[in-house]
Amino acid sequence: MAARFLWASRAASHLRISVAQRGFASVVLKDLKYADSHEWVKIDGNKATFGITDHAQDHLGDVVYVELPDLGRSVSQGESFGAVESVKATSDINSPVSGKVVEVNEVLTESPGLVNTSPYEEGWIIKVELSDAGEVEKLMDSDKYSKFCEEEDAKH
Amino acid sequence: MDDLQKMRSPRTLEVWKLGTVNYLKSLKVEDKLVSDRKANRIPDTLLSLQHPPSYTLGKRRTDHNLLIPEADLKGLGAELHYTQRGGDITFHGPHQAILYPIISLRSIGIGARNYVETLERSMIEFASVYRVKARAGHKGETGVWVGDRKIGAIGVRISSGITSHGLAFNIDPDLKYFEHIVPCGIADKEVTSLRRETDTMLLHSEEMMMLCGRKILHSFWTTRRRSIKTNSPSGLTRFNPV
Repeated sequence: MAARFLWASRAASHLRISVAQRGFASVVLKDLKYADSHEWVKIDGNKATFGITDHAQDHLGDVVYVELPDLGRSVSQGESFGAVESVKATSDINSPVSGKVVEVNEVLTESPGLVNTSPYEEGWIIKVELSDAGEVEKLMDSDKYSKFCEEEDAKH
Repeated sequence: MDDLQKMRSPRTLEVWKLGTVNYLKSLKVEDKLVSDRKANRIPDTLLSLQHPPSYTLGKRRTDHNLLIPEADLKGLGAELHYTQRGGDITFHGPHQAILYPIISLRSIGIGARNYVETLERSMIEFASVYRVKARAGHKGETGVWVGDRKIGAIGVRISSGITSHGLAFNIDPDLKYFEHIVPCGIADKEVTSLRRETDTMLLHSEEMMMLCGRKILHSFWTTRRRSIKTNSPSGLTRFNPV
């Protein structure tokens, strides 16, 4: 009896918290870094994996095509390295850090929609070998990026 | 400029009325304007023009949707161009209104989907002026339709948040040119024009295109003060704030 009461009150308080939250829908993961062009980076030693964020995929619409760079190609922070196509629009993807492309997610050629359904996991786009680890300092952490997205969405 | 000043200053759209422009030439103009817009050297700009007969492909290079050999295009008086825009194969020609907005989506805070929907809405509103009931495409069929017939096409490129390419609205082009392609990669659907869909007398092309351009402006900036400046070969003309 006491256990059920405890469960019910916890459920109720959980619901109250959910309702009180603002409707900012997109997912932002804590352990990643973010660029203001809405790409995310996961750093692992001197390797980095990146993709586009949940906010980006939501604003793009259904992705029907991903243009991947060649292996071995250099990428520079802030410069375009590929593109995605959605709703008859091709949008450049910019590199959040500089380095050399060591792996691309070939699965996206057959299944570009993974960018929408799993932007931080199965929808990863490329992996690079970092050329300048210091560049990561210029990126936003999850809190800053969340705020950045809210400000952008508030513009219209 | 501090934030308050930014909010108060009217959003400007500079309109360039270019007449008929060769497709490659228009690409060069767009590239330059995108670069200038990115560097904030120019305000948001709208190119209003027509093309001589031209078939164009998007980034995915879907040339299997060109139904005749490329060599035959010359005989039709048409060119073929590959571009970086989204979308499939399409045709541009005289009496088709082309509008290329070179605008900063980042400064408005919208993304590709929202932008494309705005372009669709503009064409739908424009068609309604002539009592033509158009609609946005179903999923995967971006564009503007009257029933099952396509009247407006969209193909856009977004680079560092700046748009290029844009929309093509069929006022009264020679629809026979569309027979040589699978338009936008969608088979079994017709292409139509305003001429075909309405008995209302159509204005001169230039005026039609300005009207279409105004609809776009209206769609983007309905809650803010805005002004349009147009630049035509005869000089700079300023429109009243709409």
